[in-house]
Amino acid sequence: MSQHLTPSASATRTGRAPRTSRRRALAATAAAAAAGLLLTACGGGDSGLAPADRETSEATAAEGPVELRFSWWGSDSRHALTQEVIDLFEAENPNITIVADYTSWGDYWDKLSTSVAAGDAPDVITQEERYLREYSSKGVLQDMSALDALDLSTIDEEILAAGNFDGGQYGVPTGINAYAVIADPAIYEAAGVEMPDDETWTWDDYIEVTTAISANTPDGVYGAQDYGFNEPGFAIFARQKGEELYTADGSLGFSEETLAEWWEMSLELQTAGATPPATKSVEVENGGPEMSLVGTGQGAHSFFWTNQLGALTSAAGHDLELLRHPGEADGERTGMYFKPSMYYSISADTEYPVEAAMFVDFLLNSTEAGELILSDRGLPANTEVREAVQDSFTPVDQQASQFLEDLGPVIVDSLATPPVGSGEVVNIIKRINEQVLFEQITPDEAAAQFMSEVESAIG
Amino acid sequence: MTDSLTVTEKPVTAPGPHDSAPPRRIHRKASPARRRVKSLVKHALLITFGLLMLYPLLWLLASSFKPTSLIFRDPSLLPETIDMSNYTGGWTALSHPFGRYMLNSAIVVAGSLVGNLLSCSMAAYAFARLKFRGRSMLFAIMLMTIMLPIHVVIVPQYILFSELQWINTFLPLIVPKLLATDAFFVFLMVQFFRGIPKELDEAARLDGCGHIRTYFQIMLPLAVPALATTAIFTFIWTWNDFFSQLIFLTRPDMHTVPVALRTFVDATGETSWGPLFAMSILSLIPIFIVFLFGQKYLVKGIATTGIK
Amino acid sequence: MSAVAELRPPQKDPGVRRRPKRWGPVSASEKRDAKAAIFFLGPWVVGLLLITVGPILASLYLSFTDYSLLEAPSWIGLENYERMIDDARLHTALGVTFRYVFVSVPLQLVAALALALVLDRGVRGLAVYRSMYYLPSLLGGSVAVAILWRQVFGTDGLVNQVLARFGIEGMGWVSHPDTALGTLIILNVWTFGAPMVIFLAGLRQIPEMYHEAAAIDGAGTVRRFFSITIPLLTPIIFFNLVLQFIHAFQSFTQAFIVSGGTGGPADSTLFYTLYLYQKGFANLDMGYASAMAWLLLAIIAGLTAVNFFASKYWVFYND
Repeated sequence: MSQHLTPSASATRTGRAPRTSRRRALAATAAAAAAGLLLTACGGGDSGLAPADRETSEATAAEGPVELRFSWWGSDSRHALTQEVIDLFEAENPNITIVADYTSWGDYWDKLSTSVAAGDAPDVITQEERYLREYSSKGVLQDMSALDALDLSTIDEEILAAGNFDGGQYGVPTGINAYAVIADPAIYEAAGVEMPDDETWTWDDYIEVTTAISANTPDGVYGAQDYGFNEPGFAIFARQKGEELYTADGSLGFSEETLAEWWEMSLELQTAGATPPATKSVEVENGGPEMSLVGTGQGAHSFFWTNQLGALTSAAGHDLELLRHPGEADGERTGMYFKPSMYYSISADTEYPVEAAMFVDFLLNSTEAGELILSDRGLPANTEVREAVQDSFTPVDQQASQFLEDLGPVIVDSLATPPVGSGEVVNIIKRINEQVLFEQITPDEAAAQFMSEVESAIG
Repeated sequence: MTDSLTVTEKPVTAPGPHDSAPPRRIHRKASPARRRVKSLVKHALLITFGLLMLYPLLWLLASSFKPTSLIFRDPSLLPETIDMSNYTGGWTALSHPFGRYMLNSAIVVAGSLVGNLLSCSMAAYAFARLKFRGRSMLFAIMLMTIMLPIHVVIVPQYILFSELQWINTFLPLIVPKLLATDAFFVFLMVQFFRGIPKELDEAARLDGCGHIRTYFQIMLPLAVPALATTAIFTFIWTWNDFFSQLIFLTRPDMHTVPVALRTFVDATGETSWGPLFAMSILSLIPIFIVFLFGQKYLVKGIATTGIK
Repeated sequence: MSAVAELRPPQKDPGVRRRPKRWGPVSASEKRDAKAAIFFLGPWVVGLLLITVGPILASLYLSFTDYSLLEAPSWIGLENYERMIDDARLHTALGVTFRYVFVSVPLQLVAALALALVLDRGVRGLAVYRSMYYLPSLLGGSVAVAILWRQVFGTDGLVNQVLARFGIEGMGWVSHPDTALGTLIILNVWTFGAPMVIFLAGLRQIPEMYHEAAAIDGAGTVRRFFSITIPLLTPIIFFNLVLQFIHAFQSFTQAFIVSGGTGGPADSTLFYTLYLYQKGFANLDMGYASAMAWLLLAIIAGLTAVNFFASKYWVFYND
């Protein structure tokens, strides 16, 4: 148990000794508090068999076999292809073994926080923007710009910036997505409504088109799905008004009026029958892409992430179209942005920072890895890899890729990395939106409530 | 309903194959015709109500034979074509064949079964039949251990097991069962033991049986229904238990069935509903079989198992 | 069976409750009992000390700290408990949980007991029926339940299809704040298999001779049901009641799966443990979650104590 009481060499090297040792001390003290008896009973029982018991390493590459744990979330198809990438890496680096540690999205964070609490974090950690800052601010992740084995020059500055804050590169974006409109041309046609020109359409056009489709189609087919359940849509809406969801220093950057207006519009659409009744909205929202209105042929368009096009297309059974957000042309500025779909991070506690960096470098910069990963973790952030593997994309991914390509010049900047505590916002906005849709509160009250709840969440 | 307790064993309705109770006395004789009608009505009701309860399962079964894209578009219970690809594809979709996860689950279940049956019944014997100082206090403490939600004890538990180098082994899932930490079953067996007439073990005691022999030779045979209940529940609950298996087993080759099933779901992307349903059905089969065969031991009451 | 009868001393009237035994002075048999207790309770005590007590005490300690899981806990005294007083969502969660517990537990137990009596004996194909009624319980915590429940209570679900036959327009029962909790109560009743099995086992443990003796005395079916079956089943009824209460208060999985982890719509299914889980793992406020857990423990322990106290008046033991 002694290794939990002394800071590791790697921790000292990254200059995070106080934090790391504190966390390790926690593991020891909590366990001691938990089972003093046990600890004394087997105090001499360090067997040195489990991975947690490795010898600490120096900043140079370790000699002899190295075992790294790599954690990610996702579905079975991602697991299969990631395993292929791992096999490839292991073939090229025979002394390194990568242990896969994967779970579904919902379970991922429970497991990750538990293992961090025990001082047993994976070496390479997949992160998401809502938790990136939380983990880095607590000293769990290390500054990857200091790792020579990882070449970051291949990644677009603007995109890389999303993982750079508090004076370090705590996450490297794996690839990019955008929040956009996915539309079903078949339903437009059935309704006799013309597809909008997405470079010029306004929010008024959006309301008009959506309402018209609902009116011209049989009962049970709607113009759109309600958009109020999550915050990226509002972030874009706020940016079009020259505001921001979060400012760079981690506070709220929008006005209550803007948020109230956003919910007002959603309620208008519901009242007009352009979107389904509240119960149906809640139901489709919980159902994911497969059970969404567009996915089941019950809706003409909705807001989705570009990487959901594949799931939606296979659910719908025919080609769908990607459109830009309404209001991009007539706003104060454009609101759409590239979101890093996920980040690779390296644990501050890893015994093998060099090897971990080598592995992340392989994931990001190797064309061979890119050929396997394709667009699974977003459109590759490394533009060279992107160009090299683009032709291997499925038609749907090529469609999404082309859309993002065209969008590039229009996008002003990326969003500021969300502040610590923003992981909670996804639940807050969902709950308040439900209250709005069931008319338990007015849009004005909702806006005020959202702001006060989020402010207390991000402290 | 209460009729079923008395008017039973007549040639018209012979006892079911698993109903091994001896014939009971008949107090009121109903005419065979009336009884036949009653029996028909009873079966009709049981079947209707049962089908209603089974509807979601039948839907699951039907959907497992449809391609994923059809599952949410075609609500019919009878699929037009039987498509086995969810089964063949789902079996190999994860990093190991699904059988591997079933084997892992089976190992955890086997360990838990032994542990719960032995250690919980021992503790229950002490609580039900022995007089010792602090008995009620210990009993209260035991009950309290199941009153805290798992979510707040799992982190300290993880730290403890990780100190013991037990993460990624089946030990955190089995050893606690060997040490009777599942208070539910202790309490269950206490209640059953207390239902066994005390005269039986007192008589054995008079014949010179010690507590250990009384426990093995009198109590356990008499408590077969309770042991069967414990075994069935241990099997099913361990087979389905997800949170602790998720947290304590991180390597894919150690994953169990419930953990593996959840990796089909991707809330942010494309969920493989078809394979998920197919593998859910497959993973139900073992527990269903266990229940089907195990339930006959539930009916082996005191009347039929007694001392031979 | 005859063996049992031979071993038994003359029949006692099971309807008469015996006086609880007093703790007498230490006798030889009690010394022997104490020795045996060490043997029989040994594994349990070891497990308690090494595995159970540690994490429980740790959670008690953490309830007095600010603990994000990612950093070491820092002591803040009673602050977490004070915060609970003004936490509106906590109050919502308590309300939801109490309504759930006090409606679903009695319903589930009545359903389980009724079915257990019907399926006890005297019906052809018992094994099949029992298994059929138990099947839903096998599925209780599966990820597929969320989808299945929509198939029954969703906008296009079975219930609405049936209602439509009668010309009634249904609604999305799972996703309306007024009815979502109701569907979860039905979900809980639907999975009555576990208490049913325990009742079945309990029914079969009632010695046959009691019924026979009563029958010889001329007691009818109804009379015997109320004066033999029910009294002798009371330990099992009591067990199911206590355990289902404890479980229902901690009910998590079904609401978690059906509402996608949110407790929605609009917090209408925000079970206490679901909120606790959100606090601990989504908001990384494990200190507060631990404090919530200890409040829950106090509530459950209090009600269980009431249950035990009340049991003296209605539970009949054979010892």
